[in-house]
Amino acid sequence: MRISYNWLKDYCKHDLSVEALAEKLTNAGLVVDTINPVDDDFCLEVEVTTNRPDCQGFIGIAREVATIVRSKLVIPGVDYETTTEKVNDLTGVTIEDNELCPRYTARIIKDVKIAPSPEWLQKRINSIGLRPVNNIVDITNYVLMESGQPLHAFDFDKLSGKKIIVRRAKKGETMEAIDGSKCMLTDEMLVIADAQRPVAIAGIMGGRDTEVSDTTKNILLESAFFDPRNVRRTSRKLSLISDSSYRFERRVDPECVDWASRRAAKMILDIAGGQVVEGVIDQNYLEGKKVSVTLRMSRLNSLLGLNIDKDTAKGILERLQFTIKPEGETEDNLTVEVPSFRGDVYREVDLIEEVARIHGYDKIPAESNIRVKLTQDNIFDKVTEKTKSVISGLGFDEVITDSIVGELQEKHGNIWSDDSSIKIMNPIRQDENLLRKALVHNLLRVKKHNQNYGVEKTNIYELSKIYLPRGDGEMPEEKECLSILGEEGFLSLKGVIETILSQLNIVQKLETRRCDFGLFNPEKSAELKLGGKLLGYIGELSREVINDYDFRSKPCVAELDFDILIENTNLESSYHKIPSFPIVTRDLAVVSDETVTWAEIKGCIESLNIVYVDGIEFFDVYRGKQIEKGKKSIAFRLIFRADDRTLKSEEVDKLQEEILENLSNAFGIKLRA
Amino acid sequence: MQERLSEIQNQAKEDLAKAESLEEVEKIKTRYLGRKAGVINEIIKSIPGLPPEQRSSTGKSANILKKEIGKWIEERKSEFNTSSEASLTLPSLDLSLPGEHKPYGHKHPITQTIDEIKGIFRKLGFDIEYGPEVEHEYYNFDALNIPADHPSREDFDTFYLGNKRLLRSQTSTVQIRVMEKKQPPIRMIAPGKVFRPDTVDARHASMFHQIEGLMVDEGVSFSDLKYVLTLFAQSYFGQDIKMRFRPSFFPFTEPSAEIDISCSICKGTGCSVCSHSGWVEVLGAGMVDPNVFETVGYDAEKYTGFAFGLGVERLTMLKYGIDNIRLFFENDLRFLSQF
Repeated sequence: MRISYNWLKDYCKHDLSVEALAEKLTNAGLVVDTINPVDDDFCLEVEVTTNRPDCQGFIGIAREVATIVRSKLVIPGVDYETTTEKVNDLTGVTIEDNELCPRYTARIIKDVKIAPSPEWLQKRINSIGLRPVNNIVDITNYVLMESGQPLHAFDFDKLSGKKIIVRRAKKGETMEAIDGSKCMLTDEMLVIADAQRPVAIAGIMGGRDTEVSDTTKNILLESAFFDPRNVRRTSRKLSLISDSSYRFERRVDPECVDWASRRAAKMILDIAGGQVVEGVIDQNYLEGKKVSVTLRMSRLNSLLGLNIDKDTAKGILERLQFTIKPEGETEDNLTVEVPSFRGDVYREVDLIEEVARIHGYDKIPAESNIRVKLTQDNIFDKVTEKTKSVISGLGFDEVITDSIVGELQEKHGNIWSDDSSIKIMNPIRQDENLLRKALVHNLLRVKKHNQNYGVEKTNIYELSKIYLPRGDGEMPEEKECLSILGEEGFLSLKGVIETILSQLNIVQKLETRRCDFGLFNPEKSAELKLGGKLLGYIGELSREVINDYDFRSKPCVAELDFDILIENTNLESSYHKIPSFPIVTRDLAVVSDETVTWAEIKGCIESLNIVYVDGIEFFDVYRGKQIEKGKKSIAFRLIFRADDRTLKSEEVDKLQEEILENLSNAFGIKLRA
Repeated sequence: MQERLSEIQNQAKEDLAKAESLEEVEKIKTRYLGRKAGVINEIIKSIPGLPPEQRSSTGKSANILKKEIGKWIEERKSEFNTSSEASLTLPSLDLSLPGEHKPYGHKHPITQTIDEIKGIFRKLGFDIEYGPEVEHEYYNFDALNIPADHPSREDFDTFYLGNKRLLRSQTSTVQIRVMEKKQPPIRMIAPGKVFRPDTVDARHASMFHQIEGLMVDEGVSFSDLKYVLTLFAQSYFGQDIKMRFRPSFFPFTEPSAEIDISCSICKGTGCSVCSHSGWVEVLGAGMVDPNVFETVGYDAEKYTGFAFGLGVERLTMLKYGIDNIRLFFENDLRFLSQF
């Protein structure tokens, strides 16, 4: 809401500078965003929260100022002379749907002279950033801004049948609005119609056919109360928002409807001449029931942590125009009647807020008797924090990418689910309207972005949610995933995963099995399992993906189900006694068939259950000149140790022989010559 | 044979001169003077096979040479021993060369901010809670006292997924989920992603992070709210910041407040970050609305509480003077590695 500093003074005398006024309003809950000088005046942009429609007009804001500075609120007079002709003899109003329109008033002003507004009025209209049109339109706008009650002036002579029918639109009806937009109406929308056609969309905008023009002589002035929800729905459907709809959907003051009409009639008489026809058509279905609320001072003080007396609270509420009911007053209680413009106040706590904000939040002490309490530990946080520390420690930067993605994520095959992604019905961009089903594609985009800016090595990871569909209209499974992109090759990335497992004290073995995804190079990719459960996937990107993204390196990526990691994590480290006797090591190079895997070799040695074997460490695989084709040389170290003595060289020789013999029997493995 | 001896003498001299380390000198010693296969011993062993007239002179010469080489070896050894001490001052290593670097990874600045804030609230006894990102309309709106077709929904532009599902536009959803499960006392914060179809610009992203907080117990007051949030702001922004609590409106709190701190960029004198007001908004808060308690089945007469919410990106931007929210999600390593 824009207000003019000078104009506001019409309703409330004060001697605050514009800055001081802005500060007072801000501290009472009406934030002044900007102050702009306009000629000899200032325009203040006031942020009015949705619960305070009463402050959508100058008088409402003046009421706040008057309450704060303890001055008097001045309401303009609305008395004027009328003709002897009666309004009921000239026109009629029929409300067909009194739920959507519980109150409608009409006045008629005859023989007006349409002209530009006088200078003072144009200046005021300009001061709040509106453009003057003609005297009648300017007056209805002026009163709207003053009171918060929207008005509409029809060219009475253009109303077919000289009457008003408030009804739902008929299917297929259309209307051209004042701003030129053509509105297709539905039977859920409320319109103001004459005998033939809609002449306004109720509460939103008038029609072009019946608007006030230079030739207008007689005016029908509308002031009404329309159902806030229906105005809002219609305004959204037609994408038509106006100063009127903005106020109606926030709920106007039902008791201000006729006042605003009289105020405008008086101004028209003063400025545009003519005569106001006697009386008003006022179809009013609103129950004028007053809301009474009781405030307990004890509750107020305990909720706020204050110690203020009843008179202070009483004074504030009275200045805000709540009526104190003497019969409801006790030592602790105050009972008030809520004014009609404060529909937001209907409970004790609402009164507490009124007292608190005028009294001043700054007067509430920042003190507490909160007792000391231990925070409950949370396994998810602990594992997350540890995992991120480990990966970052290994040189990977954490990234956070958008959960909303485009079709591209489906292009190179799905990791977790083949079901179609959940669609956003109102995306910002039509080509990014899906909830991601994997993280890895986003990492590729990050890699691409960095490569474009000359960063060649992108070792990154993300730990976030993906959204796996569970059937039409169902809530998706939100899976927490860890995705890593590494630039140092397959085994290096596998090593990162193994380090994470070991730092989380996961004892289950990491199992690998070849897998086949379009995303991966089939030679260097694997499905990972932990304790028999699917942990995730790891692989070097396929040639196709590398070409698609135009990568200059061959990144490897992995994506893991983080819940499986959490399940297997053991956050308690355990202590093992450090051995007292030294180890004996034997470095071996053996030749095996290509088909034999390291896991098989290691497994074979472990299956011998030799108590003195303390470790089996892989060195490298060699293929080349000295090795027969179809074979490979595998180098590794055997570590031997006994708990109670130093092993003798001869003992170790024997064990080594036993191991080699078993390897030979199982896989035909020979010691390399 | 005398010729062979002088050849050995020259060779030994040359070898020793070439030797670059103590180890090499030791090897030379073994080669020439070794008991088993040393060159000199080989000669002595071969003496019995020589013509008698040569035996005595060869023996003598060989012994002299043995002593001589032994002396040279000791000399050379002592040279190495002194030079190894002196080598510290020799200009062999340019100490100004850069050290070798292992890659160092960084947690995302948003993670770091969340971790820091979690740390502050953990000290104050707040538990950490999480909730789903895809939510039912009920948790995002209805249970939070935001009715359908109400203008208060305006402040929460939301992505819809159909069948009353949506991407949560606020972490306040977690309040409801926690209160549905637990009875008071409650002290919790809930960090997480939220989504809004805002026009993307330097200050708005369609995805960002919030932290919601909630404390419910008997006798919790606005004074407690001010106390806890003052401790938080002083811990996060510094002891000397000024704070301003001003009335505001949230459907799920009553009374509601917005909390400003003195602008960290201009120290309150006015700059573009604070729109020349000297204040920047950092938190929304308020006393939990009785309607919310009613929805989750708490006795609003017995229990009171406060809730608050903050924007993680906003706080991070304020702390470091970052002027564009998009930087957080572009993930440029030149940006990420600064934190």
